[in-house]
Amino acid sequence: MFSNLSNIVQRAQQLIDPTQGLNLSNSDRNPSKASLFQSQFRLPSSQTPLYEINAELTIPPSNSTRGDPDHDRGWHYAGKLHLSEAYMCFSTTPTSFTQSASTSTSSAFTGQTNGSGPSGSGFTFPLCAIRRVERLNSQNFQFALAITTWNGLLADASKPRDGSGSNKNVREQRITIHLAGTRQACERFCDGLKRGLRAGVGNVGKLRKVVAECYSEHLLRTDDKANVSPPDAGLGMAFRYPGDPKKLRDRAKMRLWAEYLRDNGRNMMLIRQPTFHKLIRVGLPNRLRGEIWEVTSGSLYLRLENPTLYTDTLAKYKGQESLAIDEIEKDLNRSLPEYPGFQSEEGIGRLRRVLTAYSWVNADVGYCQAMNIVVAALLIYMSESQAFFLLSALCDRLVPGYYSTTMYGTLLDQKVFESLVEKTMPILWEHLVKSDVQLSVVSLPWFLSLYINSMPLVFAFRVLDVFFVEGPKVLFQVGLAILRINGEELLDAPDDGAFISVLKSYFARLDESAHPKSENPKLRAVTRFQELMVVAFKEFSGVTHSSITELRLKNKDSVLNNIESFAKRTAIRNLGPDSKLLSPEELGSLYDRFYNVLYERQQRDRMIQEELKRQAKTSRLRASEILATTAPNEVEKGRVGLGPSTSLMDYDAFREFLAGMSKWAISDSSANGGEAKYYGAKKVPDTMSPWGNGPEPAEHEFLQRVFNKWDVDGSSALTLQNVVTGIARIKGKKDIMGTITYFFELYDDDNDGKVDREGILRISEALLFLSRRGLEGTLSPGASSIGLNGDISASDSQGSLPPEISTNERFLGSISAFIRRCFEYADPDHPKNQDGQDFGTSTSDEDLMVDPNTFAIGDDEDDEEEEEEEEEDLLALEKSPPGTPTKAKKTANLLSPNEESFDGASTDNESRRRVSKAKAEAANAALDPAHPLHITLPTFRMVVLADEILEQFFESSFPTSLHIIEGLQAPSSSYYGPSLTTFSNLGFSTRSQAQAQSGPMGGGRGLRGVLDNIVTDGMRVATEVRRRMEEAQRELEKNALPSQRTEDDEDDDDDVGVAVGVRKGASTDIERRSVMSTDRDLLDGADAQAGSGAASKGPGHDHNLLEVDTAAGRRRANSASTTGGSAVLEFEG
Amino acid sequence: MAEAPKPSSSVKLVLLGEAAVGKSSLVLRFVNNDFQENKEPTIGAAFLTQKCNLPTRTIKFEIWDTAGQERFASLAPMYYRNAQAALVVYDITKPTSLVKARHWVAELQRQASPGIVIALVGNKLDLAGESQSTSDEGEGEDGGDARKVSTEEAQAYAEEESLLFFETSAKTGHNVTEVFTAIANAIPETSLKSARGSGAAGTANRAGEEQRVNLSGPRDAGAKDGCAC
Ligand SMILES: Nc1nc2c(ncn2[C@@H]2O[C@H](COP(=O)(O)OP(=O)(O)O)[C@@H](O)[C@H]2O)c(=O)[nH]1
Ligand SMILES: [Mg+2]
Repeated sequence: MFSNLSNIVQRAQQLIDPTQGLNLSNSDRNPSKASLFQSQFRLPSSQTPLYEINAELTIPPSNSTRGDPDHDRGWHYAGKLHLSEAYMCFSTTPTSFTQSASTSTSSAFTGQTNGSGPSGSGFTFPLCAIRRVERLNSQNFQFALAITTWNGLLADASKPRDGSGSNKNVREQRITIHLAGTRQACERFCDGLKRGLRAGVGNVGKLRKVVAECYSEHLLRTDDKANVSPPDAGLGMAFRYPGDPKKLRDRAKMRLWAEYLRDNGRNMMLIRQPTFHKLIRVGLPNRLRGEIWEVTSGSLYLRLENPTLYTDTLAKYKGQESLAIDEIEKDLNRSLPEYPGFQSEEGIGRLRRVLTAYSWVNADVGYCQAMNIVVAALLIYMSESQAFFLLSALCDRLVPGYYSTTMYGTLLDQKVFESLVEKTMPILWEHLVKSDVQLSVVSLPWFLSLYINSMPLVFAFRVLDVFFVEGPKVLFQVGLAILRINGEELLDAPDDGAFISVLKSYFARLDESAHPKSENPKLRAVTRFQELMVVAFKEFSGVTHSSITELRLKNKDSVLNNIESFAKRTAIRNLGPDSKLLSPEELGSLYDRFYNVLYERQQRDRMIQEELKRQAKTSRLRASEILATTAPNEVEKGRVGLGPSTSLMDYDAFREFLAGMSKWAISDSSANGGEAKYYGAKKVPDTMSPWGNGPEPAEHEFLQRVFNKWDVDGSSALTLQNVVTGIARIKGKKDIMGTITYFFELYDDDNDGKVDREGILRISEALLFLSRRGLEGTLSPGASSIGLNGDISASDSQGSLPPEISTNERFLGSISAFIRRCFEYADPDHPKNQDGQDFGTSTSDEDLMVDPNTFAIGDDEDDEEEEEEEEEDLLALEKSPPGTPTKAKKTANLLSPNEESFDGASTDNESRRRVSKAKAEAANAALDPAHPLHITLPTFRMVVLADEILEQFFESSFPTSLHIIEGLQAPSSSYYGPSLTTFSNLGFSTRSQAQAQSGPMGGGRGLRGVLDNIVTDGMRVATEVRRRMEEAQRELEKNALPSQRTEDDEDDDDDVGVAVGVRKGASTDIERRSVMSTDRDLLDGADAQAGSGAASKGPGHDHNLLEVDTAAGRRRANSASTTGGSAVLEFEG
Repeated sequence: MAEAPKPSSSVKLVLLGEAAVGKSSLVLRFVNNDFQENKEPTIGAAFLTQKCNLPTRTIKFEIWDTAGQERFASLAPMYYRNAQAALVVYDITKPTSLVKARHWVAELQRQASPGIVIALVGNKLDLAGESQSTSDEGEGEDGGDARKVSTEEAQAYAEEESLLFFETSAKTGHNVTEVFTAIANAIPETSLKSARGSGAAGTANRAGEEQRVNLSGPRDAGAKDGCAC
């Protein structure tokens, strides 16, 4: 809700005064400053510091202090007044959150809370809690505001009181603030305030609702208290609060608090004075404890933001189950079981609901053991809804990462604690090291359960009282004090066990006198717990939020690395049987690559988002003002060690993943020209490439097929397990039959053991795609060149094949032979052939297909037998005369994925004519779409094995091309330079030959001619085939073929290929980006409207905008005349 | 506990295994000879000690019973660090728990102290058909054989990895002390720190140490006697 308001406010600011931008920048939302601001005042993350100004706060004298000469005229505090979208905060802590403020002033960790909580004196007023703001008549150059709040006027909405006057017992809360700044600055602040106040008016209802759950409202009631049931102040109301109230002096504390709240405002309207902090240090009274925790932790403001979130969540997920719920259920009976409230269904029910609701709203955390104990403790003092929001303040801000799935926060703070012990108690530390006691096995539960499970409850709650106001450093201070106090005994403890029992007996005696033998009765009265508090906060006062922050930063990497290496070991071990096909090194690399890609993509996404925001700002801000607006605290998001980021790889990430290992997976357009062409034009900086510093991955139908195959559960995302299994099948078996089968299955869409004509063409395209940067692996040049020369010379009508050609060039020939053979040995798709189809209809091949079933099984065990047969098959095959031109023609199809191949020299008309059309068609009866056909796996194998180069492709080139461990070294142009990777010159550039592994420099003119033939003729045939197929297709009402084909045809028709596919994929990104950067205003508006539409009703929103607009107009009109005028603005909600 | 002359040494032992396989129950059976729903909230790991009298010496086990939830697994290195023995527990009615156990064995072999003695323990034997008679309480487990992991399979794996192997029931107490005795016997004399924990100053604090020690809380469990082995 407030975030919507903030949008409105910002938008309004732009509308009102374009020059506002300049001023706005002064305190604009620098993310890191904003988060400092939020943590200083414990505000929700929707709040950003908009304005700040030096000011003096005057609190009028109270009843109790009247007559005290020092405070006859009230109290005065000098400090800073801050304004955010929905809050006005004052603090005597000299922090500044303006853009220009130095980090040290933004994080001026002084005062009790050291910047991690509401420190010093002051207030944090939601703007909706302000009822009236008047500008006071005062002396020259003085700019003073009198602020009246709703304090005491909100309770009991059913019996509306007419203003403050009628209720004589409620003293109107009215404070005065003198602004100290230039007149202009003061005016500006007031304008901001005015807008915020207007926007806040609508929230008075919410405020009323939230406040009604605060016990203070009941406590300070002046009328008919007896007839009204008090708000829920926790299970303690029904089951008694822990401890002896007499011993705790609960009544006295309650009286003190009642007085304090009467004088200084309650809940939202509470003003902090030094007494406030003192009252907290002595321990909160039972019935107010929950409310004060809410106020100090800031969870009260979360509740104000969305008062019904808790009940809504429960309603929304009613009846649903989850892993977290199962885990919660197991622990319900062991959460503070000694407290009577948790021996009852009432208490257990509350605990169950709060934990469950939280596990739904924060699925990343879900449920972590120890949360049950913490929440159980909270529920003794507060309502379910209050506990729910306090839990969220804990998990998000107070102890971040403690309960995450990796518990990195817990481990990190243990490291921090250890280094503090080492620093402050070197002798003890040395002893720990010497006796091999690991401190964290003792201290981890202290932190994880906030001492609730370590000390007797009454004392644990005293620690919590301070913890909620002063932040996590309290946990460290108390821990250090425990060790310091028990230092002597601990030095004598030789091992874990002894260490633990020393501390255990210490905790059990916290209520005893710390100086039982002292003569001084006062000293004798000091309990061990009081001693602990004194030591913690006096002796270890040097442990501040900033020193903790520093140590956290220092240790973060090593902690995360430990977690990550543990997670990696675990993940790899759990990868299942397929993973055994790969070496541990390969698995390790796959793991790293997998998560690196995900991590980097996440980072990049975030940076792109930020860049967009920055660009959006640029249009209204000076460049100098938007420098250095990074958010260091968020940089790490997505690291494995931080818990669940994503562990799923989508298709684009998959492409990027492959492009890091295999050169064929890199786009042809990516090197130099590509990016400039696609991104440069949009003026997107280099860092904004969706692929980061890496090369742009290729896009090809083959990749899509592999992705789909690996995505076994069809979720459009791959897990690490999917990836490992997928790669293990290709690379792990080191078995050519397996790889061939794998490839075949990739194209057997309906799993019927047949690949149709279209599939054959696509397989050839894939083979070309995979080989277009040259083949890798061990190819025995001697053997293959013999086999190949035979093949190619036969296919070459000119007969001018040079003796030396590279493997890559030969591979081209092999592919065309492949197509030819596929069609040659394909089986017609005819019903009457159904039963006999595997035996084929080709004349000479009866014996080739003798035992198709053996082939079909295709498992390792059968291989030996099969291979023998296949060798015979091969012999037979070699004898069969190749249909020469056919082969050449088919090749062209293969080339279609490469756009360049079409607009390059392929337009050589002369060479195109070299093979006559008639000849081609004659040999291409198989291509007639009127006669559908298919190949089976045995046929496919036979065809592959008939060609030595193809055989070696499947045996070694393809598996080797996945460089799992070493990756692609120097990602320089030599790897993905455009000329290398395409057939744009209808031949191979010198670079490509250098690239070729078997690399004899060959080619030359003659070869080029051959390739020209192959390509140009093939292209023509391909077009023809496509055309005819389309005709046939049309007749078959289009659904005869997979729908995917239609798309691809469009690509082909448009004379574009793979490169276009890539461009298409990327262009959506670009569009999004450019739109956002150029049309910022529109988008901001849409954003604002969409946002507010979700929360408040449309008309209301419009109304608000209007109001603000009017206000703007009025402000202009007034600004000149109101110098020292009376009421600036008056709200009576 | 004053068997004066026998040398005494302490052994750090860690229990690992999937949640709910019965780690805590095994420890409770060993330490207190008791079987009950665990009321003790375990944060990180519970620490307990128990003595084991061998003919020639006394072994004092310092037992770390690690927490059940999966996410606490990343804390495990903290507890198995320097452990001389480990009980890797699975549930014979749950095959996935053996997979997890294998993981822990591999983890320990790679990350823990080199000489660590590992025992693979298949718990909840009382749920297996053949030992049906022993489950006197008849907890309404379908009555049939709930065993899903065969003794042979686990045994073969244990032999392959040179692990001690036992099938136990924390519920009936079957084989529980045997596991610990076997571990005590398997710890090489040389790896025993002489009388770790019998230091002069330590003894004073150690009264009542053979109890369940909740490492974080003031609440005591009942005292018990030394182990029967
Ligand atoms: N039938 C049977 N149940 C057992 C046995 N050991 C433990 N359990 C039950 O299994 C559940 C989990 O036991 P617990 O000791 O908490 O497991 P942990 O998470 O490994 O510590 C509890 O309900 C126990 O009662 C056993 O030997 N037999
Ligand atoms: Mg347990």
